[in-house]
Amino acid sequence: MKCGLEIHQRLNTKKLFCNCESKEGNEDNKVVTRYLTTVKSEIGEKDKVSHFEQDKKTQYKYHVYDNTCLVETDNEPPHEMNREALELVIKIALQLNCHIVDEVQIMRKNVTDGSNTSGFQRTAIVGMNGYIETKEGKVGIQTVCIEEESAGIITKKDNMAEYRLDRLGIPLIEIATDPDIKSAEHARVVAEKIGTMLRVTGKVIRGIGTIRQDVNVSIPEGVRVEIKGAQELRNIVELVNNEVQRQENLNKLITKIKSNFDTKKNKINYEFKIIDLTEIFEGTSSKIIKSNMKNNGKVLGFVIKNHKGILGTELLPNLRYGSELSDYAKTMGVKGIIHSDENLDKYNFSDDELTDLKVALEPGKNDAFVLVIAKEHMARKALEKAYERSLIVTIPEETRKAQETISHFMRPLAGSARMYPETDIPPIEITAQLIKTLKQNMGDGLEEIKIKLEKLLNKDLAKKMIESHKLQPFLTLVNKGYEPKIVANVYEQTLTELRREGNNVELISDEQIEDTLNQYQNNKIAKKAISKILKLIITENKPIKQIIIEQQLGKITGKELDTIIKTETDFKTIMQKYGLRVDPGEVQQKIKGK
Amino acid sequence: MITMYSDNVIKILKQNKSQVGDVIQLTTTKGQFEGMIMPRSNQGDQNSIVIKLDSGYNIGININNIQKIKNIKSIKPTISKPSKMSKSNEKGDIAIIGCGGTIASKIEYKTGAVFPALSGNELIESYPEINEISTIHTKNLFSILSEDMTPTHWSMLAKEIETQIKNGAKGIVVTHGTDTMHYTSSALSFMLQNIPVPVIMTGAQRSSDRASSDAKINLISSMLASKSNLGEIGVCMHANSNDNINYVHRGNRVRKMHTSKRDAFKSIDQLPLIKIDWQNKKLEAINKYKKIGEGKFMVKPKINDNVALIHIHPGIKPKLIDSLSDYDGIVLSGTGLGHVSTNPFNDKLINPIISNIKSLIDSDVTVVMAPQTIYGRLNLNVYTAGRLLKSVGTIGHNKDWTPETAFAKLCWALGQTKKNNEVKQLMEQNIANESNEKSVIL
Repeated sequence: MKCGLEIHQRLNTKKLFCNCESKEGNEDNKVVTRYLTTVKSEIGEKDKVSHFEQDKKTQYKYHVYDNTCLVETDNEPPHEMNREALELVIKIALQLNCHIVDEVQIMRKNVTDGSNTSGFQRTAIVGMNGYIETKEGKVGIQTVCIEEESAGIITKKDNMAEYRLDRLGIPLIEIATDPDIKSAEHARVVAEKIGTMLRVTGKVIRGIGTIRQDVNVSIPEGVRVEIKGAQELRNIVELVNNEVQRQENLNKLITKIKSNFDTKKNKINYEFKIIDLTEIFEGTSSKIIKSNMKNNGKVLGFVIKNHKGILGTELLPNLRYGSELSDYAKTMGVKGIIHSDENLDKYNFSDDELTDLKVALEPGKNDAFVLVIAKEHMARKALEKAYERSLIVTIPEETRKAQETISHFMRPLAGSARMYPETDIPPIEITAQLIKTLKQNMGDGLEEIKIKLEKLLNKDLAKKMIESHKLQPFLTLVNKGYEPKIVANVYEQTLTELRREGNNVELISDEQIEDTLNQYQNNKIAKKAISKILKLIITENKPIKQIIIEQQLGKITGKELDTIIKTETDFKTIMQKYGLRVDPGEVQQKIKGK
Repeated sequence: MITMYSDNVIKILKQNKSQVGDVIQLTTTKGQFEGMIMPRSNQGDQNSIVIKLDSGYNIGININNIQKIKNIKSIKPTISKPSKMSKSNEKGDIAIIGCGGTIASKIEYKTGAVFPALSGNELIESYPEINEISTIHTKNLFSILSEDMTPTHWSMLAKEIETQIKNGAKGIVVTHGTDTMHYTSSALSFMLQNIPVPVIMTGAQRSSDRASSDAKINLISSMLASKSNLGEIGVCMHANSNDNINYVHRGNRVRKMHTSKRDAFKSIDQLPLIKIDWQNKKLEAINKYKKIGEGKFMVKPKINDNVALIHIHPGIKPKLIDSLSDYDGIVLSGTGLGHVSTNPFNDKLINPIISNIKSLIDSDVTVVMAPQTIYGRLNLNVYTAGRLLKSVGTIGHNKDWTPETAFAKLCWALGQTKKNNEVKQLMEQNIANESNEKSVIL
């Protein structure tokens, strides 16, 4: 097995080709409607992906947000590339030991699923031929690219897809490793290491969807497959293992199909005839057929020669060969297919219906059949796709989409034919002087920060902190002289606890945390009050000093504490009464000294 | 294109017997790179060799960092040249006349260069749907950019349209660059009067190499419009940012009002003429227009290009006006109701230009006023400046034409006659609805 990773991470700068903010925006109640047209490549190579998407004739609706402008709606040429994002990517590429290209050439990568209003994604190589060290050995870094994020999908149905434009144009760094990864576990280690490295720059966007890993898997006897959208690192191991298994089982099945058709070629052939079966199901009691036949839906089907038992063969637990055909059909907007290797009981067909079905389709004794229920135009397209897939008796090179630990077909693997230069933006020269300056201002890399943290904190907390998305504010506060252990505890323990209790800790700013810690360091509040105050910041939304006064959280110390100890002498009682306001050490000392 | 490399790069490539299209291996101070040598555009660092990697990405490698160049293989580059002019399609009901511009541009995929060179045939190849609307006859008249169009080109285009009509075209679509399309459409409205078939001009704001191009929809809509009963020169472009509706505007009342949006073309002070739902092939008249067959077809393609269009601005120098004395005609894009600086209170800081304008007119230069506000009607009676301009013989009082229409009309009028009083008469006559008879409340 050979496996490489592609890691995409959103960068926390302004958008890559305009001046909009890279954030989740507020919707603007404006929608732009567009269609995309097939574009013929001049070098004769028809790009498989563009061609594939074009079969669909989809209407795209783009929702406008407060952080979008004419650039995102493809109504204004792109501005020059955001310098901060570019310099950040160069810095990261340098940390990954890459060679930086002398001139960044921005390319257009055809993307015609509507996820970019222009019909292409802008992308450019910044660094190449780097590496990272892991315990299992060096892993090469093929390329480090800077590119624009796509628009976010809202809904997709029939011949219409809706996208949100706030995401479009957010800068992404794309790091592609060589296929040096030795095992699924190794893949996880590499992804984690690169992910942490990106986070410690403090310049990446955090949160769900802001980092994505694509996995490239090549297996002996198999092909290269790209699996997109593995959001959880823990799934990578299983995803890769499952893909290896899928390809191995597919290979076995292919041998069987080829022998059924008595061919050695990588393509089979049989007669394809779509039969309209709608009449059979008029007045059916099958709920699934009934609901899909609403609004002029039709039941169409075709016979797949020599495929009896093949469609039902499992490639993975709960993933049959029939799913491969179904995935292709689904790209045309249908919900799925029904095939004869399935247990048809669940569809609740009547005996008459089943008999009529067989009469109409006339499958031979080794044949299978496939049904689709949808509007006629869509159903036909879907069956054509399923038929197309059934003819391929090699493992197709595909881009697949991860769903937990199993992947599904998304589109054919993109070729280099979909790339051509972006002529609206001049190439960017990267001088030796610039690289020198960036190296000088590099800041601490992952290793330096690790060493630093291990000096400041115990091992456990240091490990937690380096993984934390609050690493940057932590370092800032420590540099200002706050006690590292207290700061780390607030970020990693207190806030986590508050969140688990159901508080929206996002409402607490780093400044408010600093203010609170400041009160503590200046002896104005006790350590125990920190958590209480942070919680009150969320609910009260008042200045911290006011909260302390109103809620009577000011620290009781010195003479004031002496007064209390005059009447109360039991430590436990004092702590019960004044726990949030006193320093337990001081109380004990005073009791002893009494 | 290779010439866009520095002399140094060209020399080194020559020494290595490498050329554009060759796959080479570069040993550099930064490691090894392999890829195909690409031509360079005129942007960026000309000392960097652009190579296309196997992945399709291009990168630039500075010649000074290269230690060794090894030729891997030589591939003949397939850089397409602009297709030959006058390459014509067989007979068809709709004649598509190509004048270049973004709509007819095609990308050379390897280099990314955009040529204004899509022939009519290629247009049909790119958008086979247009064949469903009508049979098509194509003619590539020019392959130039919009900003390179001259009044002489307008004249050639008018003659070509006449030829196509004589040859039996039932509708005409002119593809054109958008920057100056409204100048051309204005000029055509004077050169071709009472047209017997619809003549629709169209263009694209996004080049046809991209999937999001507006070219196809504009072309389809224009073809639908060219089958209508419109007896005026029309400009057909997107009605808004969406891909659903197109408008046909009156050729001499339309103006490009945005640098980049799809709906950059707007009718000025009037509604567009026709609304087109291209998907359902539905046309709806939303304003009054002249129908085909009304009046006798007249072709008057003569033009005088010795005309200038001057934008009046604060502090304009009298010497600028004086320098225009060699022109036959001047259009002043004046402020407000149609004003220039006249300095009635004799302020020392101000250099009025009214006497300079008077000298021009006295020396037989026709001077025409147009509003730089774009919207609204000129009135040379309200203020002193207007009254003075009118009294020295400036033409344009009460017109609401756009500066571009006034310019195209003056070029045309000066091409029709050399007599000043006849030019004046032509300018004042409303020939092709170029000036609204009444200011409509929109």
